[in-house]
Amino acid sequence: MTAAMLASLFTTAMELSGRQRFFLMLPLCLSIAIVYKAIRNDSMQRFPIGVLTLWVTIVMGLVAVGGGLWVLFRIMV
Amino acid sequence: MSLQAYPSIVQVPLVGFLSWLVPGLGHILLGHRTRGLVCMVTIIATFWCGVAIGSVQGTVAPHYRKLWFVAQLGTGGNTLAAYALHLAVSPESAKSSKPVLVSHWMSAEVGVHYTGVAGLLNLLVILDAMARSEPFKAGGRRRRQLSRGFP
Repeated sequence: MTAAMLASLFTTAMELSGRQRFFLMLPLCLSIAIVYKAIRNDSMQRFPIGVLTLWVTIVMGLVAVGGGLWVLFRIMV
Repeated sequence: MSLQAYPSIVQVPLVGFLSWLVPGLGHILLGHRTRGLVCMVTIIATFWCGVAIGSVQGTVAPHYRKLWFVAQLGTGGNTLAAYALHLAVSPESAKSSKPVLVSHWMSAEVGVHYTGVAGLLNLLVILDAMARSEPFKAGGRRRRQLSRGFP
């Protein structure tokens, strides 16, 4: 019963809207920041602040690239 | 279980294989427990969140999404478990080269991105674990000593 319920969690897809899809970028970027900093940092003391900084940098970079491409698309099309 | 007991020719590939099978396990067995646990939890959570978002039929589909499956294979044990679940749930779609219409394309795309990125992140973890194993560390020390002019 529990196994069937657990399996159904992975066999039934979620319904996503376009806006939700963009917000799902945030946890993915957080995963990248955590793993990168876990590998690169020799000390785990500065790990949380390093992760936060990298996460914000990645998200801001993606927003900047996306915004730039959107403006370019608006100008050219 | 300590990996230090193994000869160097076995240790590096063994660390790589264990890291591939279970993300972060190589680090844990080398003594980097916190680092290994952080990588393990993050990569496994990312992979299975992706599968939950896009469903296993739409996400882990080696015949339909060949290149993404190669990226997903970076997580080793997780991908094999997800593919086994796909085969158990829907064996005909697991071997089909056509898209599986069990989910909205947007959910499947997000799920594929999550699982693919998890696999590629685990490649970094595998390489880092192999670089931290004793033979490589000894080689690094020797190179640093040589570059400083020590014998």
